[in-house]
Amino acid sequence: MAAARPLDRQRWALTVALLALALLWLAPIAWVVVTSLKPSENIVRLPPEWIPWPATGAHYQEVLWGSSRTARIGRAFVNSLVVATGSVLVVLATSSMAAYPLARMRFPGRDLIFGILVGSLMIPNAVLLVPQYVLTQRIGWLSTYQGMIVPEAAMLFAFGVFLLRQFFLAMPRELEDAALIDGAGPWQVFSRIILPLSQPVLAALAIFAFRSAWNDFLWPLIAVNKPEMFPLPVALALLRSAYSSESYGPIMAGAALSALPLLVVFIVANRRIVEGVRLSGLKG
Amino acid sequence: MTRQTRVAYAFLAPGLLLFAAYRLYPLLEGLRLSFTNARLGRPLQQWVGLANYTRLLEDTRFHVSLWNTALYTVASTLPILAVPLALALALNRGRLKNLLRSVFFFPFTLSVVTVGLAWLWLLDPVVGPFNYYLRALGAPARSWLADPHTAMAAIILTTVWWVTGYYLVIYLAGLQDIPRELYEAAALDGASGPRAFVAVTLPLLRPVLLFVVVTHVIGSFQLFGQVFVLTNGGPGDATRTVVQHLYETAFQNFFQFGAASAMAWVLFAVILIFSLVQFRLLRGHTEY
Amino acid sequence: MSERENGVEGGTGGGNGSAGSPARRPRVSRRAFVAGAGAASVAAWARRATAQGKPTITYWNGLTGADGKVMDELIDQFTRDSGIRIEQQRLPWADLYAKLQVAVPAGEGPDLALIHTVEVPHFASDGVLEAIDDATTTAKGFRADDYLPATWQGGTYQGKRYSLPLDVPQHILYLNTKVMKEAGLVGADGRPRVPGSRDELVTMAKRIASKPETFGFAIGTVGPGRYTWGFHNLLWQNGANIYAADLKKAAVAEPAALEVAEFWAALEGQHKIAPPANANCRDAFIAGKLGMWIAGSWNFTGLREAKVEFTAAPLPRLFKQPVVWAMPHQYTFPKAKAADRTKRDAAWAHVRWMTDHVAEWTLKAGQVSASRKAHSDARITGDPVLRALLSQAPQWQVGQPTPKWVAAENLTRPVIEAVYTGQKPAKAAMEDLARQINALPD
Repeated sequence: MAAARPLDRQRWALTVALLALALLWLAPIAWVVVTSLKPSENIVRLPPEWIPWPATGAHYQEVLWGSSRTARIGRAFVNSLVVATGSVLVVLATSSMAAYPLARMRFPGRDLIFGILVGSLMIPNAVLLVPQYVLTQRIGWLSTYQGMIVPEAAMLFAFGVFLLRQFFLAMPRELEDAALIDGAGPWQVFSRIILPLSQPVLAALAIFAFRSAWNDFLWPLIAVNKPEMFPLPVALALLRSAYSSESYGPIMAGAALSALPLLVVFIVANRRIVEGVRLSGLKG
Repeated sequence: MTRQTRVAYAFLAPGLLLFAAYRLYPLLEGLRLSFTNARLGRPLQQWVGLANYTRLLEDTRFHVSLWNTALYTVASTLPILAVPLALALALNRGRLKNLLRSVFFFPFTLSVVTVGLAWLWLLDPVVGPFNYYLRALGAPARSWLADPHTAMAAIILTTVWWVTGYYLVIYLAGLQDIPRELYEAAALDGASGPRAFVAVTLPLLRPVLLFVVVTHVIGSFQLFGQVFVLTNGGPGDATRTVVQHLYETAFQNFFQFGAASAMAWVLFAVILIFSLVQFRLLRGHTEY
Repeated sequence: MSERENGVEGGTGGGNGSAGSPARRPRVSRRAFVAGAGAASVAAWARRATAQGKPTITYWNGLTGADGKVMDELIDQFTRDSGIRIEQQRLPWADLYAKLQVAVPAGEGPDLALIHTVEVPHFASDGVLEAIDDATTTAKGFRADDYLPATWQGGTYQGKRYSLPLDVPQHILYLNTKVMKEAGLVGADGRPRVPGSRDELVTMAKRIASKPETFGFAIGTVGPGRYTWGFHNLLWQNGANIYAADLKKAAVAEPAALEVAEFWAALEGQHKIAPPANANCRDAFIAGKLGMWIAGSWNFTGLREAKVEFTAAPLPRLFKQPVVWAMPHQYTFPKAKAADRTKRDAAWAHVRWMTDHVAEWTLKAGQVSASRKAHSDARITGDPVLRALLSQAPQWQVGQPTPKWVAAENLTRPVIEAVYTGQKPAKAAMEDLARQINALPD
């Protein structure tokens, strides 16, 4: 199909307009980063200065290693990392193991179980907040890593099963059948054949789960009472009132840091993320 | 029990245990709590029947919260539906699609707190850049977050900025799935541009639109993070949401777990009703 | 970090009209020394401390302002002197109290906590704090005579002691010299004029606000619309209060309280002298967009660091009496799941040390000490802002000693914000608030 010249120019004009919009779209983030690099006395200045010159790493230093205990962002960063990674591992393990029989085996209760799981996707998290808190307190898991990982994984479980079952259903059976004939047990089929072939969807699920766990806010807000166990969003949020009297600098530095891991994941695994979003959206 | 059944349940066991313990049990326990006067620190609970629910009828702050949340959901639906769609259409016609898609998607990777803090600083009425540039352009600048008429709109703006990228990707995928032949056929019939959009694109995007709306509604009714950071329910109670009211009832002022559970189930019921209505409205016929 | 402090401290300092006091120069090197030495030797001392078996205690407080940094330095100094390490956790006050309420029954509370006096009644009645018996108090060297009466009394509830006072954060009037000068509101000596009455305040503020994008007057650090401490201050100046004298019925709908609420409503809407309800007044003051600012004493060291030219004056009499809101900080020992003698003694040691060094705290954090002994320190009486703070002592008033004080305050916040933004008329709002407060469960 030949693109006529005027149409080409139109396309480029549109692209330029979109690029301008994209730049504007990034402005809030840019403002966060710029503020985090300005020395405190330059932060509150009008007209707004978009180039942080002189620039300082003092806020990042303070927030990560400084003696100021206000933010403990460094520790919160580690907490978030542990919780997110733990959640991903638990979700991948449980979802894939549960999706396999739901996709490949016949047994009584199969459709009922799958129906309940799908139905549970409609349950808003707010409804479970209070009883989950009571349960967590009773088993002594408040302010612990498992107290953050397990509920998060439980929340993502049904979605993970849904996603993986779709994928497993679409996989050709030949390899499995061949392995079964050779005498392989179900676990071997699962771990040696199914899982390796599922890497794309597992990666997509992992990224989705990581993002959800990394950014979870309301649950850790109530389930964590020891400030040294706060994950990043909670640590940042509790300074909403604090930064007014101190300085925007450290908080913006904390906010910028909180965006970093996902930015890295995003740059590295852009396509996987898009694939994951696609899969989650269209088959739903 | 056949061997396959045993194997199947062995595979299912860890996940089902997780699910039953932390999704099913809390769901039912929450319902039970809503009929008691449970409080943090009070060891004995008493059955109080529907008392928690009837008290909600008099809890004016709960009504305000529910109203605000419903208003937010309805008011934000159109921008959430339309903005990413418009962007998707534009991106499809322009170049550098992948780069632009990534840029618009990036805010979605941020935590709601980071988003809130960024916009809080941006929208500061006295020293924030947003108002500064508005004034420079001659437009009226107000305290967006402290004006009861604009606070909710500011929160909607923040949310649109945050989630547009996600829905953009979904729309792009949906648009990609529409076969070109349909557009060519429509063009042969004399329909192109906006008419093609209405005749071809919209109907085929129906399932995607339904997904977007349902997802958005379930999320909007649970609005909490943005409000917590940006306005904390203010000014006055103008942006107070149900989840915030629930959170404060259960975990801040009075630690009343029974009352909060009742609130949660009322919210659940409202969400279910809204979702069912949408399914009916937007289902239509999905064959084409 | 020490370099930044050097440059900042050695700068214009207070700019409050008085010649740079010689006390400031030793403070510069002292601060840098403390910071440097503290940072360098904490590691060494930590190793030695654990080797000696000195405990580490957890300490929660809400000092998220500029005074927080000073507390960090003093704690480092304490660790060097005593070998006891302190793990500090800092949360904004409202969140701190919510967490304390939940954490202590779950056995996850800290060994030491700094709270406000008004919190003592409800935490004590909820069983969150451990009672301190008089024998121990005297044995550790704390006597009633050493303290300002309001602070000493504030540590008790129903006859039992639950806390020991540290200092007295209070309100003061900050005046931005540059802004006032531009509005022509300075005296012959170049110092900003101080308003003597409500009407004078409004007139002066209107003059300042005639310049675009500048505000004449504000109360509160951030979010002036919902600044309950400021609202309380004004209530008390008019002889009103949240509860009636019996501490059972709400008194916010009384005529005296309504008069204050009307003034609150007029600030932004009618007189147009105050910034929006969610403005950051501190930043506005620093950026030269705010002329007169009633805010906490904990702000002034931060203002000096930001190199703002300002004066501090005692609170003017805006209503009947020139009452000054004060909220003493109190040290308390939250109940622990298992009594740990070493940790409790370590916590006592810290309280004792801080009380002995409270002059440092006053000088650097700007909080007047509850202990009278520090008041005669020459360095303190030599600082004009600290002098002004001390002079307000006869006008101090604190919150009412009822366990429902904080819950009532939480209810007050959105209501006064609605009044400030004009969403609700003052009378209807206050009557609604009175209803809500009276409906609080016991």
